[in-house]
Amino acid sequence: MMQIKNIHAKIGDNDILKGVNLTLEAGKVHVIMGPNGAGKSTLTKAIVGHYDVKVTEGEVIYKGKDILKMPPEERALEGIFLSFQNPVEVAGVNNAYFLRTALNAKEKYHNQKETNAAEFLKLMKVHVEQLGMNTDMIARGLNDGFSGGEKKRNEILQMEILQPDVIILDEIDSGLDIDALKAVSEGINRMKDGKKTFLVITHYRRILDYIHPDYIHVLQDGKIVKTGGPELVDILESQGYHALQKDT
Amino acid sequence: MQPITLEIANEEHPLYERVKALGIPANKTEHYRHFAIKPLLSKEYDITIPTVGTPIQGTKLIIENGVVKEYPNGVTLSFIDDFQADSTHYDALYFMSHVLCQNVINIQTKNDITFEIEHHFSDKNRFIPYRIAIQIEANTQVEVFESFHTKGSQESLLLYGVDVYIASESRLNWIRNQNRYLDEAAIVGSHHYHAAEQSSLDLHTFDLGSGNALHIYKIDLDSYASTNASHLLLATQEAHSGNVVYINHNQPHSKSIQESRTILKDGATGIFDGKILINHDAKYSKAKQNSKAILLSKNAHMYTKPQLEIYTDELEASHGSSIGELDEEVLFYICSRGIELEEAKKMLVLAFASILIDTLDNAKYEEIIRMDFELAIKD
Ligand SMILES: Nc1ncnc2c1ncn2[C@@H]1O[C@H](COP(=O)(O)OP(=O)(O)OP(=O)(O)O)[C@@H](O)[C@H]1O
Ligand SMILES: [Mg+2]
Repeated sequence: MMQIKNIHAKIGDNDILKGVNLTLEAGKVHVIMGPNGAGKSTLTKAIVGHYDVKVTEGEVIYKGKDILKMPPEERALEGIFLSFQNPVEVAGVNNAYFLRTALNAKEKYHNQKETNAAEFLKLMKVHVEQLGMNTDMIARGLNDGFSGGEKKRNEILQMEILQPDVIILDEIDSGLDIDALKAVSEGINRMKDGKKTFLVITHYRRILDYIHPDYIHVLQDGKIVKTGGPELVDILESQGYHALQKDT
Repeated sequence: MQPITLEIANEEHPLYERVKALGIPANKTEHYRHFAIKPLLSKEYDITIPTVGTPIQGTKLIIENGVVKEYPNGVTLSFIDDFQADSTHYDALYFMSHVLCQNVINIQTKNDITFEIEHHFSDKNRFIPYRIAIQIEANTQVEVFESFHTKGSQESLLLYGVDVYIASESRLNWIRNQNRYLDEAAIVGSHHYHAAEQSSLDLHTFDLGSGNALHIYKIDLDSYASTNASHLLLATQEAHSGNVVYINHNQPHSKSIQESRTILKDGATGIFDGKILINHDAKYSKAKQNSKAILLSKNAHMYTKPQLEIYTDELEASHGSSIGELDEEVLFYICSRGIELEEAKKMLVLAFASILIDTLDNAKYEEIIRMDFELAIKD
């Protein structure tokens, strides 16, 4: 579905990614774990085209094209979605208005009929309730004054409404209470349709118990150093990343 | 055809000496410094001093090339040839417009009323000076929506102003919406608002587009009087546009809140010169002033001059100002959801402006201004 080939990337003058290779398979849940500062968020930012990250080598092939040549909005329109580790607050831009604009942009891009305001409000209400969000979030500014957990739920709301094909979730589980973790995980599971691919970055197994990953990849010092099945989580939890380093 | 100099003023007029003392504004005159007043005044104009027409009663105050065509029901209209202007005003063109204008259009309100003022101005190369005075009866609520219709008036200059007296315990809500293009008359408005005891003035100004305009205000506050002033400026292309607002707290317990928001595109120049003066007698006054500007282009220039001048100890005052660009991280976030960069910028600019548009408490005017804003930002 998506091939990440030999990605080298810098932030400022620092080499952060040092040759990442990873193939994301359709219908599968890929998990990346790894120590703080290893470059996990940097990898996600490279995929969506964040201006901080300068890719110096490699390519990301998706639908037969190297997406690294596309501006960020085009990557999104092509179906790539990143739930940010720290979503920004946008005061004054209404949450519902923003999301409908994004949805309409996608519909327009794919020559589909644009969802009108009334239809959209209905759609949004359904998802907001499913995610156990407060309905007043619809009318508030985008992430404006949202708590950490509320922001994460709002990212999942965006994902559910935009229905992307490549779903990258950067620490979607951090800062979530027990109910929120469950609601968010259920949201992710609802998206599974056998075609979409998931790239989930996490430090904890809690979320993995809900979303049942197919592959665990370990990213360390800018490279994928190990790939395995769900059993790899147990090894990491008992021995830490340190042990793995010796291992390779 | 002639330029605007002292020579066109009547020496006999009681305010002539004030104009002379302050001097016709030039490039160095403090509050005109960034407005490019000199080329504007030195153009050759066909100078027209408006006459008293035969206005009909209607719903609006309609002024065509300085002549009143219609005035609203429920007010008394008169023309005053010896109007008592504010002799302590700081602006030379305030006095100049009084000297040139032979008949001040005078409106006296009696009860609560809402009306619109429409300025129509359609001639080329013409200079028209006129003034409007409005007396607001005590204990009433008045709302005024002022707009400009200046198509076809290229190379012209409109020099006008209002003198408004808000009697005690009254409330005036004044919305000035100015949405204009580069090929329309330049506007200089020089105003005086006097809020008497326990009265309040809400002044919301919207200056949009590529036209040149400068508005100069002096607001005087008596005891327990308050003003809430907001200024939204969106200047595009080569526009020079702005507001000079001096708020004088003259008596105790007066209160002012002022917020200026400016968005500059292309090679536009924006001006916000705000001075809050708290006089010795104005104990227990409160003043708050804030100015924020967003530059959408490297060639745009913002001149902000927030000043607090305080002559008493017992008060609360604060001011702040910032000039910046749109937040890159926020723009990226919006684009990462499939929205084009230009659209994302528009969204953020509208959000920035909305704070001043959405708080007018009048759905009809909010809608008009929002539409004008969206048109102007595309220009
Ligand atoms: N804007 C930036 N400027 C400078 N350095 C940066 C910037 N963003 C990230 N880095 C550096 O890049 C490295 C990788 O950061 P990254 O955020 O990708 O780590 P991570 O694996 O996501 O860590 P965590 O688990 O803590 O989220 C870190 O050393 C970090 O300090
Ligand atoms: Mg990270």
